[in-house]
Amino acid sequence: MAGFILRRFGIMILTALCLTFVVFFLTNLAPNLEKLAKTQGNARMTDAEVTSWLANRGYDQNIFVKYGEWLGVVPGYVIEQPDGTYRGRCFDQAEAIPDDAPRFCGVVQGDWGYSSVFRDEVLGIIGLRLGLTGKLMFWVMMVMVPSALILGVLAGMREGSRLDRGLSSISIVTTATPEYVSGVILITVFASSAVGLKWFKGTATSAMENATFENFFLPVITIALYGMGYIARMTRASMAEVMQQQYIRTAILKGVPFRQVVLKHALRNALIAPFTVIMLQFPWLLNGVVIVETLFNYKGFGWTLVQAASNNDIELLLGVSVVSVFVVLITQLISDIGYVYLNPRIRVS
Amino acid sequence: MSFVKTRIHPAAEMHAQEHLDGQIDRREFLTRATALGVGAAAAYGLIGATAPGKAMAQEAQQGGTLRIQMELPALKDPRVADWSEIANQTRGWLEYLVEYQRDGSLRPMLLEGWEVNDDATVYTLKVRQGVTWNNGDAFTAQDVLHNITRWCDQEVEGNSMAGRLKTLVDPETKQLLDGAVKVMDDHTLEITLPRPDITLIASFADYPAAVVHQSYDNGDPAANPIGTGPYLPVEVSPNVRTVIERNADHEWWGTEVYGGPYLDRIEFTDYGTDPAAWLAAIESEEVDMLYESVGEFIEIMDSLGLEKSDAVTANTLVIRPNQVAEVNGMKPYADARVRRALAMACDNSVLLELGYAGLGEVAENHHVCPIHPEYAKIDAPVYDPEGAMALLEEAGMADYEHELICLDSGFQRDTSDAVAAQLRDAGINVKRTILPGSTFWNDWAKFPFSATEWNMRPLGVQVLALAYRSGEAWNESGFANEQFDSLLEEAMAIADAGQRSEIMAKIEKLMQDEGVIIQPYWRSIYRHYLAKVIGAEAHPTFEIHVYKLGLSA
Repeated sequence: MAGFILRRFGIMILTALCLTFVVFFLTNLAPNLEKLAKTQGNARMTDAEVTSWLANRGYDQNIFVKYGEWLGVVPGYVIEQPDGTYRGRCFDQAEAIPDDAPRFCGVVQGDWGYSSVFRDEVLGIIGLRLGLTGKLMFWVMMVMVPSALILGVLAGMREGSRLDRGLSSISIVTTATPEYVSGVILITVFASSAVGLKWFKGTATSAMENATFENFFLPVITIALYGMGYIARMTRASMAEVMQQQYIRTAILKGVPFRQVVLKHALRNALIAPFTVIMLQFPWLLNGVVIVETLFNYKGFGWTLVQAASNNDIELLLGVSVVSVFVVLITQLISDIGYVYLNPRIRVS
Repeated sequence: MSFVKTRIHPAAEMHAQEHLDGQIDRREFLTRATALGVGAAAAYGLIGATAPGKAMAQEAQQGGTLRIQMELPALKDPRVADWSEIANQTRGWLEYLVEYQRDGSLRPMLLEGWEVNDDATVYTLKVRQGVTWNNGDAFTAQDVLHNITRWCDQEVEGNSMAGRLKTLVDPETKQLLDGAVKVMDDHTLEITLPRPDITLIASFADYPAAVVHQSYDNGDPAANPIGTGPYLPVEVSPNVRTVIERNADHEWWGTEVYGGPYLDRIEFTDYGTDPAAWLAAIESEEVDMLYESVGEFIEIMDSLGLEKSDAVTANTLVIRPNQVAEVNGMKPYADARVRRALAMACDNSVLLELGYAGLGEVAENHHVCPIHPEYAKIDAPVYDPEGAMALLEEAGMADYEHELICLDSGFQRDTSDAVAAQLRDAGINVKRTILPGSTFWNDWAKFPFSATEWNMRPLGVQVLALAYRSGEAWNESGFANEQFDSLLEEAMAIADAGQRSEIMAKIEKLMQDEGVIIQPYWRSIYRHYLAKVIGAEAHPTFEIHVYKLGLSA
């Protein structure tokens, strides 16, 4: 087991390295650097100004050197500025190179860099924003998982019944409606003066500090609806399959009440497949929050990703990528390990 | 009031007569007179009116929190600031020498007043007495000199003040001209210009001209917020939220001069660029005041029972061919006939209707607005689609496919679509390209044919100097015309707006004849806020004067 987990971590680091290099390469393409210079300096700088702005900040170095600096395996740049001061990756800007400035400052040293959009340390931003998204995700899970399982089990209990058809239709409709459609519809119907219900708020900005039912329900339900239909379909399929097993038929023929057959004999076996699906929903949720957080102006991880990408905030994007890789791979690791416990027929080593 | 002049500029008295004779309206009169050094109150006095302003102050209660929706770009050195929103965040603690008012007048702030000699080459600036920095230092003429020196430093990448104060910059050293600004005593400066420049005072009111302390290190202005203003930043999170609070330890000079500040706390929250999100914000009662209401949302906001304020502005959209841009090895817009044809194929009133729902005034393709003091009435541009096609055929460009590029945002997109439709009606091939802001602003000045939003300047010559003079950084049309440059130089030396408008007529005609731009309309701008908010009226240059804001008692 330990070897299995270690191997998984090895893969995780390798994946993170590959992905960050791809992101690094793309964000360091010449037009993207120009964009960075213009958002940071002045939107109306001339080409000569852009070139000198980039050179003064070490952006014109070789891509591998820059990537090495970010990783912390190549010494950070030190560049003399036109006005005689020094600017370095590890000490910002100073009259002379400070004695206590470290030579290396990258991820290996625990320095994740500085976000050019938010003017703050990347690590702090990611922590803060991930926390906010965590809050959103928690409530999404609380709404989505129980309702999806109930729907799925009810539908799968008696395959082909009217109840099954009805619930299946609902889950297909919700899962076939992307967040950017359902979100807009929900806002229009429940939050705007256009319909006039105004039960909820059409923006979740205040929910970052003080989440209430009123300001948090719409974003939560928008993401939850989408995932819910999918999980419900999986649960239904799994439940329907279990219900056709010999031992279930035997139990029913023996005269065990149907309720007990479902709860005692079918349920645990039927939940193995949905467990994996639920774990796989985490990466999917990361995807969904990008849209929903932007739509509801909830400034979490997804919104941060959009801001970082549209402003070419290199180090923040890299940080976001690393976190995303870890979220995806760790949830898969958990689902693999959990599977072993749920299903005694499977061994990992 | 303390800034009332003993000497009134002769031209101001002349303008007063013009106003009384009905030749110019009040806004024009105020811009002209105040730019000549006449205080707003005195200017109103010249035309027998009383200055508005303090009446509203009595209704505002002391204290309270106001929540404003506004995009929040990261703060930067004020002189390189490229968005009005940056200045609105810092305006609570970084003040200006002069302030541009809603009614078109210029009001002295950190200056108490100024005098201009008759040919606008010598300015005498009077620094306001009794102003202190919030660290206790007195505000003196030295501080003003320090700031003018900073503004004139052309070596700083993106310093747009250097362009605004071009007459003060030595082209050799790229610094402030030696000896141009003299400190006479603690509260008086004398500026001697090598050539006349009437835009100087108006430039001091522009948003990058925030006055900083001598210890300021050109970094984040909120890091060590030394300023003269009544507020202090307590939270600055770019793109998220900016909060300023009343600085209780600082006695603000303006309280006894202009009244205010009223609020204890002002929160700016970023709701992104989608107007639907702004609507959601004010509908959910998360904000009390919007930054700007645009397009079809104006009507929706009206229906919500919000207070609406509008300002007539010289803000505009310019659809311009770039005369030096190369497409496939040729310069399609180097020929004036091609450019003029494009303008001839467009009916500006249709563009106003389709592109901006009629919320403005029709413009005349020369970028000088009727609210500019030197505006000269010339013939409206010709609308002649058939003539346009004939011109293109003559130039051998009838089959050329134009690519009209614009920003992916409300009225820019709609108006460009309307332009493209009109060009197609005239038989001209057009392809449309719509780019997101992050891509568009990278190359905005270089696109061969694109639409750009321009905010107003108080004087007509100012935008012309920024955008159409040969070789200017913001010259997006690639227009380089000696006649234009020399006419403009001449116009900028005439302090009297009436005389200046004679030359402006020639300049305006030249702009039309050269087909430099298609300029369909002047936008009026709108803002909605809750009825309880006071002092939040829309401002022609989007300035939010935080000390005027309050909540009704």
